[in-house]
Amino acid sequence: MAFVNWLKRHLVVIAGLCTLAYLILPNVVVTVFSFNNPKGRFNYEWQEFSTAAWKDPCGVSGLCESLSLSLQIALWAMLGATLLGTMIAFALVRYRFRARGAVNSLIFLPMAMPEVVMAASLLTLFLNMGAQLGFWTILIAHIMFCLSFVVVAVKARVMSMDPRLEQAAQDLYAGPFQTFVRVTLPIAAPGIAAGALLAFALSFDDFIITNFNAGSTVTFPMFVWGSAQRGTPVQINVIGTAMFVVAVLLVLVSMAIGNRRRRQKA
Amino acid sequence: MTTVTEAPPLAPAPERKPPRRRGRWTPYLLLLPGLLWLVVFFALPVIYQASTSVQTGSLEEGYEVTWHFATYWDALSAYWPQFIRSVLYAASATVLCLLLGYPLAYLIAFRAGRWRNLIMILVIAPFFTSFLIRTLAWKTILADGGPVVGALDALHVLDVTNLLGWTAGDRVLATPLAVVCGLTYNFLPFMILPLYTSLERIDPRLHEAANDLYARPSTTFRRVTFPLSMPGVVSGTLLTFIPATGDYINADLLGSTDTRMVGNVIQTQFLRILDYPTAAALSFLLMAAILFMVTFYIRKSGTEDLV
Amino acid sequence: MKTTKDTTTAGNGGGDVRLTGISKTYGAFTAVHPLDLTVPEGSFFALLGASGCGKTTTLRMIAGLEEPTSGTVRLGDQDVTALPPYKRPVNTVFQSYALFPHLDIFENVAFGLRRRGIKSVRKQVEEMLDLVQLGEQARKKPHQLSGGQQQRVAVARALINHPRVLLLDEPLGALDLKLRRQMQLELKRIQTEVGITFVHVTHDQEEAMTMADTVAVMNAGRVEQLGSPTDLYENPRTTFVANFLGTSNLIEAEVDSKSGDEIVLKAGGGKLVLPGARTSAPTATGGKVLVGVRPEKISLTHADDAGEIPEGRNRITGRIVDSSFIGVSTQFVVDSPACSDFEVYVQNIDRDTRLVPGTEVVLHWNPAHTFGLDAAQSPLAGTVGSAGVETVEEEVAR
Repeated sequence: MAFVNWLKRHLVVIAGLCTLAYLILPNVVVTVFSFNNPKGRFNYEWQEFSTAAWKDPCGVSGLCESLSLSLQIALWAMLGATLLGTMIAFALVRYRFRARGAVNSLIFLPMAMPEVVMAASLLTLFLNMGAQLGFWTILIAHIMFCLSFVVVAVKARVMSMDPRLEQAAQDLYAGPFQTFVRVTLPIAAPGIAAGALLAFALSFDDFIITNFNAGSTVTFPMFVWGSAQRGTPVQINVIGTAMFVVAVLLVLVSMAIGNRRRRQKA
Repeated sequence: MTTVTEAPPLAPAPERKPPRRRGRWTPYLLLLPGLLWLVVFFALPVIYQASTSVQTGSLEEGYEVTWHFATYWDALSAYWPQFIRSVLYAASATVLCLLLGYPLAYLIAFRAGRWRNLIMILVIAPFFTSFLIRTLAWKTILADGGPVVGALDALHVLDVTNLLGWTAGDRVLATPLAVVCGLTYNFLPFMILPLYTSLERIDPRLHEAANDLYARPSTTFRRVTFPLSMPGVVSGTLLTFIPATGDYINADLLGSTDTRMVGNVIQTQFLRILDYPTAAALSFLLMAAILFMVTFYIRKSGTEDLV
Repeated sequence: MKTTKDTTTAGNGGGDVRLTGISKTYGAFTAVHPLDLTVPEGSFFALLGASGCGKTTTLRMIAGLEEPTSGTVRLGDQDVTALPPYKRPVNTVFQSYALFPHLDIFENVAFGLRRRGIKSVRKQVEEMLDLVQLGEQARKKPHQLSGGQQQRVAVARALINHPRVLLLDEPLGALDLKLRRQMQLELKRIQTEVGITFVHVTHDQEEAMTMADTVAVMNAGRVEQLGSPTDLYENPRTTFVANFLGTSNLIEAEVDSKSGDEIVLKAGGGKLVLPGARTSAPTATGGKVLVGVRPEKISLTHADDAGEIPEGRNRITGRIVDSSFIGVSTQFVVDSPACSDFEVYVQNIDRDTRLVPGTEVVLHWNPAHTFGLDAAQSPLAGTVGSAGVETVEEEVAR
């Protein structure tokens, strides 16, 4: 009876932790299998422990090239989408203008549209323009679909900002430009950073739109896709694990710094 | 010395500099580059897609608009099973995401205490491993004769799912169950994050107030917590359902030819068979279907101010 | 001072604020009707009124945060109407302070100096922080301070620029009662010390009367009356002012006769005397007048002792409806033929234990304490129920 009561009280916690396990399980598998030494071309069955892939992560031809290309595209897409998206977000929150509804729908629709539809449409456009598919078409596509997410992230932050802060800056002799640089931008920064991070992640991990518009250029997700057909090298798991670990470490370090700073100030 | 009188309404103030207006053109200048980008690379292509769908011709001789709406009919009659399948799979995955995601979001919002940040990191961090790699990992997890399949078999779960047609024989891989499982996994964070955001905004004192007013925990949840988390539920289901409907990765990697979804068909038509009108018609049908369902759903759930 | 903005030479008239025919309309809504107002240099001036009366809009027009629909704003002899806020030698203490959350206290206070290109700000900022007793907190962020401390930072951040006029927009609104009292005295002290013109917007009549030399009572976009706190309290000229500043008992009466400077009125079967100098209403014989008297001026005597009341006092008979003991005084509500709920505050010096609800009493006061108002106005204007709508001003401010 006591056990049943305990179970009742902690049902949510148990269910939540199960979901968490479901979310983490594939990453555990990816990590474990990065130490595998598979027999055939596919890395789906456990054979024996090996660190060979970790010692030679670029040992598969094309893997590290595709990774570096993906990182470059993600970086540029992040910069482009963040710049354009932040401008739109400010315009939406701070100004009145005509056709606000139309603008809002134009920003919302890319998020509500299945990727495959956007991908196919864009490819049609590129083919008709006779554009050379490759780096630039990928970048254009990535900026396009990241833009809306940046707008949403920045808009939320700017909307929650007290308009009196900007008025106070003006009252204290800061002209429009100074007000923007000294007050508006720093306060909106967390929202802009969140939007930028989201854009980077979305761009780096995108497969569907890239697959349509890349031509013969191979990004990292496309490399993985291709290898799923031809044979999956262990190095893929090494890269996947490394990125997971780096991300977690970065977050932990930034949190630790934040904590320490807070403690010093107090 | 101090005086007050009511002045008559003045005629426009004599010779003053034009009133400084914070640039009337500023908003348009701010909007211009981004909107131009969206118009050229999003709106125009979609419109162009519409015209492609009513073109006829061949790759060699070129296409022209002939208002050949029969393409839509042909596409629909040839691929209606894939359409139905897409909606069914996506709907099942969305429901599963909600069922799995809600407890976790609730846990993070109200019960995690000092573990909150850690759990948040664990929810978000998998994002940083390419989703294709993670989806491939499911091939290992659900492998034939593997521990998961073995356990399901031993518990006679597979017998039930076989009966329902979700699995076939003693396999999970290459069955609808595997595809739905992959879809659920891939879009689960898109459900958890909005749920968490709306749950976190709920003042815990509301729970106490409900308890104080004779509501048992289950009633508190049904009458207070869940209704207040509705915005999260709505945006979470949308963020899950829409991309899941158009997805073809999971069906391709974890499924078989019997689990092909609309996304697979569009992809094949576009990139392999190069039948552009059919592919365009299919994308347009998919888009229309989704917009229709989403609009209906948003109306129904009464959260039109969501976006 | 290197800057040219804050030179207070006699040539430009220093810190006088002169509003001429200034008004503000939003579409069909008139927030401020055209008004002329002069605030003399070095005074502590309060704009008092309920939410939505236009006081904040008026203040923001002086600050340059709101563009007047008509009229001009002058500081001394300089017309600043067309100047943007960052070019006006005026600073504001904002409602809820608007401290920059990303900057620490030191940088918040130094903000204005730095924007004007002053390089060495350390000494000035430290002096200013000492003035508001926050020297220790310089490196904290605003959210780490208490409400009262934040308020002092906001004052320091504005004052360090030596503005010709300091504008305060409900600066104490977010503080609890005790702290508010303390800050009222503190602000008054600072104002006396620095000698700058303060224009203070508040909805709290006690705050306005405690701090200001001159109070302008605003209602529905107009200035109802302007004067020193005592003048406004003792000689209200409209029912709004009579009710908004403290409490007034208003009795409708008819002019019976005039003898010299005294006007004799009929009200509820009795006679009342009103000094002619204390009425702003037309007093033709037979005309109606609203007679007012403050609750604390009235004495209360048990009907049995009516004979002991000295001659020459205004009298009204009635019955106690309600009484509440609040420490320094007891507040009675008395029902009388002249007025259904007469309020009377009696100091708790010698408490008459017979004065319980239901008792017949005589109210009496010195006729010199009576004031007369135009009976054409609503006697309820400015009471709690009729005060402005809470949300209007909030929206207008945005």
